[in-house]
Amino acid sequence: MNATFETRMDTLPQAARGSQQGAPDTSDPMIEIDHLDFYYGANHALRDISLQIPGHQVTAFIGPSGCGKSTLLRCFNRMNDLIEGTRIGNGQIRIHGIDISDPAVDTIALRRQVGMVFQKSNPFPKSIYENIAYGLQIQGVRDRRRLDEVVEKSLRGAALWDEVKDRLHTSALGLSGGQQQRVCIARAIAVEPSIILMDEPCSALDPIATAKVEELIHELKKNYTIVIVTHNMQQAGRCSDMTAFFYLGQLIEMGKTEKIFTNPVQKQTEDYISGRFG
Amino acid sequence: MPATYPDSAQLKGRDRKISEALLNKKRFRVLGLTPDDVIKYFFQGNAAVAILVLVLIMVFLLREGAGFFGQNLRNLRIYRLAGLEYVDFIKREVEAHTELTRAANALRMRQFDAYLKEGKTIEEANEALAQYDLFATAFGDTVNEVRSIASDMTEAAVAIKEKEQIYRDTLEQKAMLLRAGRSAEAEAVVASSVDFKSEVEALKAMQPAFLAANVEFASKIKAALALGGREPLQAPYMGPFNQLKKHAETYLNSFASVEAQMARWTNDQPIPWYESVTAFLFGREWLTASFWQDWYGVIPLFVGSLLVSAIALAIAVPLGVAGAIYVSEIASAAEKGIIKPYIEFISAIPSVVLGFFGVAVLGQCLRAVSQTPWLSWFPGFPMSERLNSLTAGCLLAFMAIPTIFSLAEDALNNVPRHFKEASYALGATRFQTIVRILMPASLSGIISAILLGFGRVIGETMVVLLCAGNRIAIPDFTQGIGAFFQPVHTMTGIIAQEMGEVVPGSIHYRALFMVGIVLFIIALGVNFLAQRIVKRYRISIG
Ligand SMILES: Nc1ncnc2c1ncn2[C@@H]1O[C@H](COP(=O)(O)OP(=O)(O)O)[C@@H](O)[C@H]1O
Ligand SMILES: [Mg+2]
Repeated sequence: MNATFETRMDTLPQAARGSQQGAPDTSDPMIEIDHLDFYYGANHALRDISLQIPGHQVTAFIGPSGCGKSTLLRCFNRMNDLIEGTRIGNGQIRIHGIDISDPAVDTIALRRQVGMVFQKSNPFPKSIYENIAYGLQIQGVRDRRRLDEVVEKSLRGAALWDEVKDRLHTSALGLSGGQQQRVCIARAIAVEPSIILMDEPCSALDPIATAKVEELIHELKKNYTIVIVTHNMQQAGRCSDMTAFFYLGQLIEMGKTEKIFTNPVQKQTEDYISGRFG
Repeated sequence: MPATYPDSAQLKGRDRKISEALLNKKRFRVLGLTPDDVIKYFFQGNAAVAILVLVLIMVFLLREGAGFFGQNLRNLRIYRLAGLEYVDFIKREVEAHTELTRAANALRMRQFDAYLKEGKTIEEANEALAQYDLFATAFGDTVNEVRSIASDMTEAAVAIKEKEQIYRDTLEQKAMLLRAGRSAEAEAVVASSVDFKSEVEALKAMQPAFLAANVEFASKIKAALALGGREPLQAPYMGPFNQLKKHAETYLNSFASVEAQMARWTNDQPIPWYESVTAFLFGREWLTASFWQDWYGVIPLFVGSLLVSAIALAIAVPLGVAGAIYVSEIASAAEKGIIKPYIEFISAIPSVVLGFFGVAVLGQCLRAVSQTPWLSWFPGFPMSERLNSLTAGCLLAFMAIPTIFSLAEDALNNVPRHFKEASYALGATRFQTIVRILMPASLSGIISAILLGFGRVIGETMVVLLCAGNRIAIPDFTQGIGAFFQPVHTMTGIIAQEMGEVVPGSIHYRALFMVGIVLFIIALGVNFLAQRIVKRYRISIG
């Protein structure tokens, strides 16, 4: 199981990344969820969720607090395993066609494929360089030149290189909030995942830093599949291709972002988007 | 619309209401204090009392201890004035000879046992050792002359010292009478001071006799060494025997320097004041209530305390820290619920009970283990004593584990959860996350946990008093690991043991206070360091 997972994980994104040259293959869903039920102990947090997240697009999860957006996001890289008493009651999550809810799946390999950026920027209390290199170092990469290359490439990818190239070896905690969040993004892309999960990445940032991160998301979409949780309707509208609206642990509606924002099918979606509740 | 404005009377009334509300005159007060004030002053008072008590302890310790240096200086001066120092040159020579004799007898014992093992009867074994015994007996007897001179001189020196003591006692008595207003009686008491110069001349008059005896002594030793013949022992014991002979040669060569030292010695060379301090801080002997000379050197006790603590930490740190890591990162909630209370319960065990366990069970077990034949390759095994620094160290480790465990666990739990999540999200294993993220981030917390564990251990009294063996001597570190299996005495142990017996105000009493001050300073230093480290750690996590 592990072997097939790793090999497919290795080959498929490569094929998908062919899109860098050609048109993105959006017809191939990157993440498929079938009738997923999820529990925190007795708390039934996600109810019968089915949806498909297309590759090389930005999918936004919206919905009022506590509706299960973060929970669903954390199912994709099995971060919920770290919380005692959680379990998937029913259903399947397939990434590249592989059921990742299977206990036999190697979560280490999965998390290398599915990167994550958290709500609160959380660089390690180490230097900027060490933060970015960490993901490779734990994979056993020692070669200094390779690490240097990856650090530079990732920081460029996160549009941070020019700002920090002279202070790579100073503490990442000395950066501004927006810069710290971009260090976290650079750290996530340094291990070359195919999917990046972002849980309200801008909620603690000022408008200028937010704009920078949004711009970055737009850039990243060329190479990565992005799932972003946001509370900010404008942000969802600005940077996502698809939008899914959740309410009380259920998926209410999912569709193209323009469609959801201009002409939603469900009344609840319309109410939420127009700010009548939430 | 002037009518809608409130008139000035109304305005004043409203202002008054607002100002009353702001001043809140109606609030509940006791003696003019609000409940908030009462709480504030209560806790401020508590803090003040704590600080006051600490200051009082320090003042008291210093007051009682400070007098020590003056008394010790007099102690050292009399040692020289009364000629005890002079006699000690000879006494040391005699002691060194006793050491050699003891080694010779021990060697005989080993050879004797070996013969018995070979199947010889006791008579046959003694027969085979006849040649060696010739040597050993002769060697043992060589010292007799010198020893008797040494004991004569000892008596003479002690007599001088006693005269001085009588003089001082008389002075004391006189002063007491004067204070009581009985001046006539005080007048009658005559205190005659000791003329050290002439007294010591009498002592030095014995020098020629000693020198003559010493020459005799040397030639007798040489003769005794020759008596051993070529091979008085079997091959495996010849090595130690030759070693012994070599030691005897060096011993003989040291005579010249002893004689030179004695010739150079005078009793009026002044002893500078700081010797009293260095004699305490660096003195290698703690010897009290002796008829000859008391020494108050803290080093054996300090080394004992340190050795026991080092053993305790060597055991407690890995266990405590690993336990903390396990509980905070790996254990399930159910396991946590079992492990934590159990470890924390350890600190509720009275230390005297632990000490009792050490005396009754652990010491015995450790020695039994050390005596198992297939462990005999281990340096220092088998242990000769049941109660030694290892026994005490093991029990202290047990007492330090809860401290280290709890504080290290706090430190690990204080690492923000999102560092851990970020690491896992990058595909790190649990081990990598612990070693590369959690440990560095909580390192200073862990270090301060270890320091506080050290503070706990070095201040512990009951266990070391019961289990450390209480031999006041610096362990023989030339034995390597064996040094850890020797009995020691500790700073805390000596205070507990001797404080009840000393005369308040005596030099011994004050010396114990000085030991207490040393302990106090160590504890203070350790705590201070631990706090500094924790503070830095808070900043670095930010
Ligand atoms: N660690 C947890 N333990 C128990 N329940 C949780 C935990 N995290 C979230 N929940 C519950 O799961 C539900 C969904 O939470 P979450 O996914 O964080 O919502 P959102 O991110 O949409 O605000 C909430 O009812 C919340 O109480
Ligand atoms: Mg959330």
